[in-house]
Amino acid sequence: MRNDRELPAPPPVAGRVLDADLELLDRQILDPDGVPISAVDDLELSTPADLARLDPEHPPVVQALLTGPILMTRIFGGRLPESRFIRIPWSIVTRVGTVVSVGAAADSLDASWTERWMRDHVISRIPGGRHDPE
Amino acid sequence: MILSDLLGSPVLTADGERVGQVVDARLALDGPPDGFMVRTRVYGLVVSPHAHRSFAGYERTGVDAPALIARFLSWRARGSVLVLWTDLASFTDDVVRLRPGARLYSPRLEHSGP
Repeated sequence: MRNDRELPAPPPVAGRVLDADLELLDRQILDPDGVPISAVDDLELSTPADLARLDPEHPPVVQALLTGPILMTRIFGGRLPESRFIRIPWSIVTRVGTVVSVGAAADSLDASWTERWMRDHVISRIPGGRHDPE
Repeated sequence: MILSDLLGSPVLTADGERVGQVVDARLALDGPPDGFMVRTRVYGLVVSPHAHRSFAGYERTGVDAPALIARFLSWRARGSVLVLWTDLASFTDDVVRLRPGARLYSPRLEHSGP
């Protein structure tokens, strides 16, 4: 099968299309106040009922943005177990652009627990760490 | 299933001929409302005959500047194609197999839009 010829355009889609790796992965996730939450490290897709006989009528749908400690796997290779990812449901995503906006406050999401923990257990114990700079 | 399961997987025709490897998944935002967004499905897979992943997607967008970089990166990703989900037969053992008669489409993003 030759790939180097002029290829036809695919059937048009009624809505927007985007390429996941190009336009979603590694994008910053912001809450409604513009507070950074994390970055999109992966996407959770629904698993087809039978991978050996894929159903053309039921393609996988995006269920969640995933974020997790993937730095080491990017440097050394391998894959992070799915259990190490933190999910941000697709249903709370409000906009996909140069950043991904979600409709929930950063403090209400599991994805920002490390920042909350640092704030409550470390930063707040530093003198002056409980208020804005004057 | 997570997206990384698909990315990097080899893609074979029904006859076992290698088309390339999955470098991206094209999503279509055309489903019923799902919270703030609409349900988003996998429309197809972008497949490259080369071992490396696409960089910056020059081969899929109309961006042609800076010209030298655009030309080099487009050349680097030459031969990329889009296969639709409806043309996928199976995804087992980390290999994607196409249905007999599966068609290859242009991977350019502006060709897939409404």
